[in-house]
Amino acid sequence: MTSADHWRRVRDLFEGALEQPPERLDAWLDREAVGDPQIRADVRSLLDHHQRTGSFLADPLGNRMADLMGESRVLQPGDRLGSYTIVRELGRGGMGRVYLATDATLGRNVAIKALPPELTFDTSHRDRLRREARAAAALTHPGICTVYALEEFDGDLYIAAEFVDGTTLRYQLDSGRRPSAAEVTRVAGELAAALTHAHEHGIVHRDLKPDNVMMTSDGRVKILDFGLARLSTPDAAVGPITQPGTIFGTPAYMAPEQLQGQTVDARADVFAFGVLLYEYVTGVHPFAAATPLGVAGRILESEATPIAERRPDISAAVAAVVERCLEKAPADRFESGAGIVRALQRGHRAPGRVAHGSGSRRLAWWWRAHQFVAIGLYFIASVLCWQIKEWQPGFTTAIFVAVAVASTVAGVFRGHLVFTERMNDPRLSIELRRASLVTLLMDVLIGLELAAAGMLLAPSRPVPAVLTIALGVGIALVRLVMEPSTTAAFLENPEA
Amino acid sequence: MPHSVPSADQLVPAVYNELRRLAAAYMRRERPGQTLQATALVHEAFMRLAGTGQPWNDRNHFLAIAARSMRQILVERARARGAQKRWAGLDRVSLTDSLVRAADEDAMLPALDDALTRLEQLDPEQARIVELRYFAGLGIEETADALGISPATLKRRWALARAWLFRELSGTRSPDQR
Repeated sequence: MTSADHWRRVRDLFEGALEQPPERLDAWLDREAVGDPQIRADVRSLLDHHQRTGSFLADPLGNRMADLMGESRVLQPGDRLGSYTIVRELGRGGMGRVYLATDATLGRNVAIKALPPELTFDTSHRDRLRREARAAAALTHPGICTVYALEEFDGDLYIAAEFVDGTTLRYQLDSGRRPSAAEVTRVAGELAAALTHAHEHGIVHRDLKPDNVMMTSDGRVKILDFGLARLSTPDAAVGPITQPGTIFGTPAYMAPEQLQGQTVDARADVFAFGVLLYEYVTGVHPFAAATPLGVAGRILESEATPIAERRPDISAAVAAVVERCLEKAPADRFESGAGIVRALQRGHRAPGRVAHGSGSRRLAWWWRAHQFVAIGLYFIASVLCWQIKEWQPGFTTAIFVAVAVASTVAGVFRGHLVFTERMNDPRLSIELRRASLVTLLMDVLIGLELAAAGMLLAPSRPVPAVLTIALGVGIALVRLVMEPSTTAAFLENPEA
Repeated sequence: MPHSVPSADQLVPAVYNELRRLAAAYMRRERPGQTLQATALVHEAFMRLAGTGQPWNDRNHFLAIAARSMRQILVERARARGAQKRWAGLDRVSLTDSLVRAADEDAMLPALDDALTRLEQLDPEQARIVELRYFAGLGIEETADALGISPATLKRRWALARAWLFRELSGTRSPDQR
């Protein structure tokens, strides 16, 4: 008898035995397991254990999860870790408790963050922690809390970092005070400058949120835990960052690609910056929902209410920057902090102009004019082909139909772009990308068709034929050469 | 709209709903102040699901993966906290003679995980039952539904799994009996 057969027999007998009244159990077992004392003994022992299981596994683990998800070691004031003496607990961050300590060697205050023990479990992970802490320590910027060292005491890992005296942005948000427009501009600028510095050093925060931004007592802004977010995951393979055991372990500031477990770069920070600034300005999370997972769902699926509707006094430039940061597709956001800084500066120099896609009024006008001229040319091309078909019946009929269809398709797309630009500007760069292949194909097609029609017409009517070919070449060239540069100028150069 | 594989777009909201339900299942039984932990667990389980990019075919398959993720997370935690050491110090005899106290249950988690792995080799369904009931916190009806068996059958098999694991952990069997 194989062990699988043995198990199946044991299982069936055990289940059957549960149905028997206790006084007849032994007799029933004798009968059922006759000739197989081994199986009988196995079932008997399982039944005995069954009698005594009591509360064993009866309660789901959730009831004792606090012990498992929480941290193990709590430091008390006066505790010593090497040259550090704990002064008091500052709070609980994403990675565990944070303490204020004095460093006897250098005579300064430091913040000591205890890393959760599961991180220190295997040595390869420890090495990675050291590398990342070293990279984070390379960042020195007034807007970034400096990391001093990764220390190990009694097998537990601690990060020693600059002690920032102040309150978190979370605290400010909870206080209910809304910042003035000028304050918003300044805070946005300082945050973006700090992000830029880190991004230029190839370091992505990955966990930017109001709890990680300090407002110092002298009014400056400092980002905490730069480059440390990945330290808080037990293993790289786990994917996106998590902050187990804290209320901040929410996906509320994660970019869509981060939520979906895809690779994350500086543009995830740009997204988080957008969420954070939106919340700072309006006091409302742009994707607010009842549960963290609900927020995640909204991040993936819904658009935020425009800032202007909640705070009309905020400059259009800042509002447009936030909107662009909140784009779902990373490609539609600013590349890094530097892009945000540039857009904010432009908005500052030219108030009233929108930093996002719509560019300056003059360039927008040119861009729109370009679209209308293109639509006009399609119309002329169709009329011309109809006339050619009259002059020179035959294959030209097919060309007329093809040109009319292509003109209609391209015309509709261009009309849609103009509409988007006028009515729903933040989506323009997305719609442009979607439409660009269609207009390119259609324009080249129309150009070729007009050239063909011109050739067919040439023997009988040379002058209209040349005009037709010229129009075809013109339409194709305008799309291939002119439009990319006017669009780029319009989208990326609002100052010009 | 998120720019990603369409299937992910369709699946992700479904995952939220399911995980939210799992979280709710926990919160019903919770003591005050533990909402955080349940949310964190569910959140982390979601992150793992999202991170692996492992496709699932239907709700039941999803529940199975989610429950497995929760088991892994919680056991990893327990191992990392040196629970193994504490378990080794426990008196095995006291375990067989008395009801298992809740506090011991945390400590035995790594040992339970090992035993569960052995049980899985014997009968995968038994391990699924324990994952869904004990680690994911599903009720009898839900677990039965997820496994496609009747609640009555599930109750008997759940009793068997508990008895088997209890015997395994109390160490009353000699190895040659396995």
